[in-house]
Amino acid sequence: MKTPFIRIGGLRGDAGGGTSGAPSLRDPLDGIARRRRCPREGTPENPLRCKPPSSQQAAAAAYKIPKRLAAVVAAVGLLLAGCGSAGTPVDPAPVGHVQAPEPDGVGGLEGAAAGGQAGNCDTRSLAPSSAIPAGSTMAKIKQRGRLIAGVDQTTYLFGFLNPSTGNLEGFDIEIVKQLATALFGSWQGHVQWTAIPSSQRENVLKNNTVDVVVRTYSITCSRLRDINFSSTYYQAGQRVLVPRNSGVRGLADLGARKVCATKSSTSLTAIAQAPSRPIPVSVNNWSDCLVLLQQGQVDAISTDDVILAGMAKQDPNLEVVGDRFTQENYGVGIPKGQDDMVRWVNSVLDGVRSNGTWQQNYNEWIAPVLGPASPPSVSYQ
Amino acid sequence: MTSTVTRPGAPDGPGVQPPVPLSPAPQESGRGGFAGLLDLPVTAFRSVLRSARKSPGRLTVIGVGLVVLALLTGVVGTIAVQDRKDTINDLIDRREPLTAASQEVYRSLSDADATSANAFLVIGTEPPELRSRYDLDIARAGAALAKAASDSEGVADAADKVNIIARGLPVYTGLIERARTNNRQGYPVGASYLREASTLMRQTILPAASDLYHIDTERLLEEQDDASGFPWFTAILVLGLLGSLIATQIYLTRHTNRLLNIGLVVATGATVLIFLWGTVALLVQSLLVSSGDEDGSHPVDVLVRARSAAVQARADEMMTLVARGDGAAYETNFQQLEPIFTGLLGEARGLLDGAAGAQVDAAQVNANAWLSTHKDVRAMDDGGAYSDAVKKAVDASVPDGSAASFGKLDEALVNAINIGRQDFLDDTRNADRALILLAPGIAVLAVVAAGGVTMGIRDRLREYR
Repeated sequence: MKTPFIRIGGLRGDAGGGTSGAPSLRDPLDGIARRRRCPREGTPENPLRCKPPSSQQAAAAAYKIPKRLAAVVAAVGLLLAGCGSAGTPVDPAPVGHVQAPEPDGVGGLEGAAAGGQAGNCDTRSLAPSSAIPAGSTMAKIKQRGRLIAGVDQTTYLFGFLNPSTGNLEGFDIEIVKQLATALFGSWQGHVQWTAIPSSQRENVLKNNTVDVVVRTYSITCSRLRDINFSSTYYQAGQRVLVPRNSGVRGLADLGARKVCATKSSTSLTAIAQAPSRPIPVSVNNWSDCLVLLQQGQVDAISTDDVILAGMAKQDPNLEVVGDRFTQENYGVGIPKGQDDMVRWVNSVLDGVRSNGTWQQNYNEWIAPVLGPASPPSVSYQ
Repeated sequence: MTSTVTRPGAPDGPGVQPPVPLSPAPQESGRGGFAGLLDLPVTAFRSVLRSARKSPGRLTVIGVGLVVLALLTGVVGTIAVQDRKDTINDLIDRREPLTAASQEVYRSLSDADATSANAFLVIGTEPPELRSRYDLDIARAGAALAKAASDSEGVADAADKVNIIARGLPVYTGLIERARTNNRQGYPVGASYLREASTLMRQTILPAASDLYHIDTERLLEEQDDASGFPWFTAILVLGLLGSLIATQIYLTRHTNRLLNIGLVVATGATVLIFLWGTVALLVQSLLVSSGDEDGSHPVDVLVRARSAAVQARADEMMTLVARGDGAAYETNFQQLEPIFTGLLGEARGLLDGAAGAQVDAAQVNANAWLSTHKDVRAMDDGGAYSDAVKKAVDASVPDGSAASFGKLDEALVNAINIGRQDFLDDTRNADRALILLAPGIAVLAVVAAGGVTMGIRDRLREYR
């Protein structure tokens, strides 16, 4: 900002002693300021003396109105120059960080299921018994007229709400229907479906809100302390779901990147314990993980392959990668203390596995995505 | 009191000039031009004081003082009344419509939240009436937001809230469309997108919209206070002028033995007229503005809050069903909102009578019907009859269903709100009419008063010549 100061200097010189200033002749603005003062300084008889030798000034002098206009411009220019820097243009709507929308209840590692598959307890279930004696848990349910089942409505292929029919469908849902059919003769009208988030599975069993939980529920030692499990009705394993072009081939490639799983799932613990140290992100429902992955807020989802297969089916840009690095045995969750119920459920599941129902169920839901498989083999305590 | 300067224009009455002390004079005359300028008012003041000791001089001072006071009163009074009129017009033309705009932002966004959840509960394709209701809500929210934004300039708090809503709304609609797309393909992830959208709406956008409405309501209240206060400064000026006129006449009567001075009597009459007209007009206007608040904007505020709480509770009812078993948080929310809107409805009933009161009655009846239906819906859902619960909650053709009761409740509230807004408009418009011609009237009367003073004092001054 050098010129403004020169202009001011020139002006001051004029005001004080007429011709004492040494204005820069190349600066037309300064010239105008000088010329305006000339008549007042007492040299009207020779206007040429006041006229700066610049062509712009000559033009301005030729017409009265442009002259005045130029003078005004000069005055404003001087005023602005006197005020210092004009500053930088203002951003009219500054926007810094944009917070992406998140599903309700997104968290980190808190509430991860303690201990995974590893454990030195006996995870085998009680021997089956199909009897329904009076006063037993099953008799009470039969009397009530409906089986209250805690299920998932967000896991495609295993337990989900079909938006076009409004019905719950999937592999797990079929298992519940089998239980209800065994108890009431027909499941229609005898099942009360309660959709629960995975974090609530233990709670609803502990406070007896539901009779059974059939919701991709892995049998673990820590869970066995609080609840009972039936025998295994499905064997899954944890893998990783990533976008097709990401180049990730397993958890090992996901160090320091965000990997999603549901709260208090064994998957979340497995992610946290992976040697590559990914960052665990937890949500309430598996679909919320898919939302986060589609929105680019996480880099991968890691959980049981059947759940991942359901997600991959909803978005062809995703693929399930890597080998199974855990073995998850799905069982029906039953409140602690209801051993009669455990034995009865096991007898129903025995039938499901052996009479072709399991295979039919698997072929309908899972086989198209994960290929053929047969029922898991089971041993009892 | 001494002075070295004798002004040629000053009236030279009888009496002897006091001896002039010599000390300050040479000093003053020797001072520079600028310092001398500073002394001018002092000099003038002293000369006025000196001449005021003599009768004609005193009369002149009194006359000039009265004229100045009358003109000042006229100017201040006219400006005050015009300002008051402007405030009232601003209330009608800007403030109240803007408050309505910010409440529309809040209401239509809550309704969009409820409607999108409702559409999800309907099996199969989305019913066209729900789709168009959602579209209407979003369009209205956007238009009302633009209106509210135009007014948030300079009010940092309001601008912040508008900013939050303006940034969140496009994201919200994007999520809803994504939810729809997935839903149409039968993918359960659609429900998760809906819940993410609802979370954004409830945790970010709606709180900002609610704050914006509160800020605008506060501003409306402040402006109503401005428009209904008593203009004390003007009143003191008018009373001061009146007192001075009366005192002058008493003084003149004592000194001239003449009972009446026509000019001063005219001036006094004009001032009394200013006082009476102004007092009556301003009192009527203040009362009308206050009644515009009591019968209009205040009950409307209560009704708007009741309606917002009801719409939100309706959204909670839907989301409980969408979440299906995982909706305890929504139901808790509903239980917290229920006493709020029933309480607000009761409060509004106490404030309103006539047609608006009847509408609030209807709203209360339908609110009770809805609440008892809600209990049935919850009992059905908790009892396992999910599809019956959904039908009862969302199907508008079920006569005693939630949708029908809530629809009637909302309609009654809208009617009551519209009646309240009309009352506000009527009262405030009448308040504006009460001030008709007052501003020019004060100006003219003040000039008349000044003229009267000039005439009256000049008559007396002539007697000294």
